[in-house]
Amino acid sequence: MNLKRDITLFILLLLSSTVIAQVKFEAKVSKSKLGINERLRIDFEMNKDGDNFVPPNFEDFTVVGGPNTSVSNYWSNGKRSFTKTYSYFLSPKKQGSFTIKQAKIEIEGEVYKTFPVTIRVTEAIEQPKNPNDPAYIASQNIHLVAEVSKANPYLNEAITIVYKLYVALDTGVSGWRDKETPRFNDFWNQNIEVKAFNPQNAKYNGEDYRYVVLKKYVLYPQKTGPLKLEPYVLDLTVEVPTSRYNIFGDRIVKKVPQTITAGKRTINVKALPENGKPADFNGAVGDFSFNVTTSKLSLDAGESLQAKVEVSGEGNLKLFELPKLSLPSSLEVYEPEHSENVRTNLSGMQGKISDTYTIVPQYKGKYPLPEISFSYFDTKSKSYKRLSSDEIILDVINGPSSASPSADSEESSVVKQAVTSNSNTFAFIKTNANWIAKNKKQFFKSTFFWSLLLIPFLFIPIAIFIRRNQERRNADVIGNKRRKADRLAKKYLSEAKKALGKKEAFYVALEKAFHNYLKAKLHIETSDFNKEKIKDLLKERQVEAPVITDFISILENCELARYTPITQVTMKNDYEKSVTTIGAIDKQIR
Amino acid sequence: MKGVLILFLCCFSIFNTAQNAALFEQANALYNQGKYAEAISKYETILSSKEHSAALYFNLGNAHYKLNNIAPSIFYFEKAKLLSPNDKEIQNNLSFAQNMTVDAIDKVPDVGFSKLFSNLVNRFSADMWSKISIGGVLLFVLLFLLYHFANATAQKRIAFVISILSITVALFSLVMAFQKNGLEEKNNPAIVFAQESRIQADPNKTSEELFRLHEGTKVQILEAYNDWYKIEIADKTIGWILKEEIKLLNEFY
Repeated sequence: MNLKRDITLFILLLLSSTVIAQVKFEAKVSKSKLGINERLRIDFEMNKDGDNFVPPNFEDFTVVGGPNTSVSNYWSNGKRSFTKTYSYFLSPKKQGSFTIKQAKIEIEGEVYKTFPVTIRVTEAIEQPKNPNDPAYIASQNIHLVAEVSKANPYLNEAITIVYKLYVALDTGVSGWRDKETPRFNDFWNQNIEVKAFNPQNAKYNGEDYRYVVLKKYVLYPQKTGPLKLEPYVLDLTVEVPTSRYNIFGDRIVKKVPQTITAGKRTINVKALPENGKPADFNGAVGDFSFNVTTSKLSLDAGESLQAKVEVSGEGNLKLFELPKLSLPSSLEVYEPEHSENVRTNLSGMQGKISDTYTIVPQYKGKYPLPEISFSYFDTKSKSYKRLSSDEIILDVINGPSSASPSADSEESSVVKQAVTSNSNTFAFIKTNANWIAKNKKQFFKSTFFWSLLLIPFLFIPIAIFIRRNQERRNADVIGNKRRKADRLAKKYLSEAKKALGKKEAFYVALEKAFHNYLKAKLHIETSDFNKEKIKDLLKERQVEAPVITDFISILENCELARYTPITQVTMKNDYEKSVTTIGAIDKQIR
Repeated sequence: MKGVLILFLCCFSIFNTAQNAALFEQANALYNQGKYAEAISKYETILSSKEHSAALYFNLGNAHYKLNNIAPSIFYFEKAKLLSPNDKEIQNNLSFAQNMTVDAIDKVPDVGFSKLFSNLVNRFSADMWSKISIGGVLLFVLLFLLYHFANATAQKRIAFVISILSITVALFSLVMAFQKNGLEEKNNPAIVFAQESRIQADPNKTSEELFRLHEGTKVQILEAYNDWYKIEIADKTIGWILKEEIKLLNEFY
C-alpha cells in the first residue's frame, strides 16, 4: 500500500514541475478546409520569446502577406502572460490535401518545433457576400446581357446580337464607357446605331428591372464550325444607395466603379446542305427575287441600252456576287455598274442590289440575252431555290449587217466577220428547191470516175494502130487497085444479080463488072478495051484457053444482048457463067 | 420483171418529188404568213423523205431564226452551206444567226502557203476536182492524137504545148481531189445544242472542267468514246463533250 502511494505522489510531483516549466510553440490555422479561391491564415504562437524562427517553406501555397509579428504581454493577478505570433496569409496554388511542415524556434537554448498541419483545398466556393458592401450591391443590381437570336445558324444566315444593360430599380448608373467593344471574328457584322437609350421595364430573374439597349449587331457567319464571340466589356459608375441617410432624410448614394462583361459565347455555325446544292449557287442565303430587265427591246445599231440584273429581298445581299449576264459576243458590252440599295436592320439586310450593263449593238439582227439563273438557300424552307430570268430578245432594226461577202472557207463560220455588207437584210427563204437524193454517191473514187479517167489513154495506142494500118494499105498501090477491082467486080456482079430479069440493065452491069475486073487484074485502061487485046493479055497471064473463050463469049453476049431478045433463062446462065469465069480467071491468072 | 421494177421506182421517185414540191410550196406559204412553227413541221416532213436540198435546209434555218432557236437555225444554215458552199444568201443569214451566239472564239488563222493551199483546195468539191481532172485527160488525149497525126509544124507545136498543159491540169486536179477528199473525210463538224455545255478534260463527269460552250457554237469532232466526243474548237482547244449536247452536221438522214 505504501509503495503505491509513493508512486502516485511521485507522478503528481513530476506533473506539477512540468506545468510550471511549460514552453508552448504551436501552429494554428484559420481553417483546415478551404476553397481554392479563399485565403488561409497561419499563426505560429509561442509563450516565451525565442530566436531564430524558421518558417516552413509553403511550397503548395503562395504567401500573400506576412510574416507579421505581434507580441502581447500582459499581467493579471501578478501573473505574466506573454504571446508572440508570426502570422502568414497563404493562398492555395491548387486543389488537394497539403501539409504545412514544421516551423522551428529556439527558446532558451532549446529548439522547439510545431506539429505539421494538414490543409484540404477544395474547389472554389462562393464567397460569402456582404450585403452592405456597395460593390457587391452594384454587382448584384447591374447586369449586362447579350441576347443572340440564334445559336446555331446556317452559314451566311443573319443572326442578331443585342446588348442590354439591366439596372435594378433602386440603382442608378451615372456614366459608362466601353472598355472593350465586342469583336466578331469570322463574321460579317454591322453595327446598328442605337440613337436614343430608352429605358424600359422588364423582369430579370423574376425581379423588376429597367433596361436599355446599348448595342445591336447583325452578324453573318462566314465560316462553319464553332465561332467565338469576343465579349463586350463595359466600365460603369454605379450609384448604390447606402443604409445611411443625410440630414434631409435622403439616402446617401455611393458611387462605385464597376466592370461588367457579357456575350462571351460560342456560335455553332452549320454548313449549308450539300445535298441539292445548285451548280450556280454562289452563297446567297435568305429570301430573294430575281429579274433581268432591259431599258429597250428594239433599237438601232450604235444606240445604247441598259440591261439590269437585279436581286431584291432579304438576306446577305452584300455578301454574294450577282450572276453574270452572258451576252452574244457580237454585242459590245461595258463593265457592269454595281449598285446597292440595302438597309440593315435587326432582321438582316433588306433591299436590292443590281448590276447595270451598258450594251451597244453594232450590227443589225436579233440578239438573245440568254436566261440566267440565280440560286439561293432559303432558310425558311431549309432548301435551295433557283430563280431564272426570261430570255430577252433584242431586236436591232437598223444598222450594218455582219455578213461578210468573202466567206468561202468552211471554217469561217465560228469567227465573227467584219462589216462589209453585200446585202443588208436577212434573206428571204428560197422558193426553188433543187431536190437531190440524200444518199448520193460520191463521184470521186467511184469506178465510173476511174474508168473515165483512164480509158481515154487507151485511145492513144488504138488510134495510132488504126492509123498505121491505114497508112500501110495506102502505101501498097497495086494491091489497092486489085482490091478495088475485086470490090468493084463483086459490086457490079451483085448489081447485075439485082438487075436479073431486066435485060438492058443486067448486061450493062455485067459488062461494067467485067471491065472493072479486068481493069484491076490486067491493069488495062478503058481505052485499051477490045477483045483481041484482052485475049492476048489473058494468054500472057497463062489463063487457059477455054476460060478465055468463055470470057470472050460472055463479053460478046453482053454486046449482043442489047439487040437481041434474050430470055430469062439465058440471063441466068450468063450470070452464072460470068461468076464461074471470073472465079476461074482469078485462080489461073498470074 | 426488172424493167417493171425500175419503172415502178421511177414512178415512185417522181411521185415523191412531186409530193415534196407540194409540201415545200405549202411550207413556204406558211413561212410567208409568219407561221414559222407550222412551216418547220412541214419542212421536217420533207426531211424524212429520201430527198433534200440546200434550199430546204436554208428555209428551215430561216424559220428557226425567226423563232429565235439559235442552235437549230445555225445547224440548218450550216447544212445548207455544206450542200451549197458558195451561196451568198446562206452565208448572209448564217452570219445573222451567228450573231445570236454567246461564244467568241479566236480562230487560229492559216498563214502564207498553207492559206493559199487551203484556199485552192477548198475552191471546189472533190467531185468537181475529179471532173476537172477527167476533162483534162480527155483534152490531153485529143490534143496528143492531133499532135501525133498533124502534118503542119505549127499545128503540131500548138497541140503539143496545150496537151502537156492539159495533162498537167489533170494531174493537179487529181491531187487536189485527193486532198479535198481527205479534208472532207476529216471534216466532221457539229453544232452545240445544249444551252450551256461543259467541256471536260477527260470523257467523264468528274474530270476537270476546261471551258464552257454555249448554244450554236460550231465544233469539230475528232473522235468518239462511250457517250463522249472529243472536240476541237476554232482556236484549236481540245476537250470532251457529252454526245447528247451536240448534233452532227454530216449526218443526213
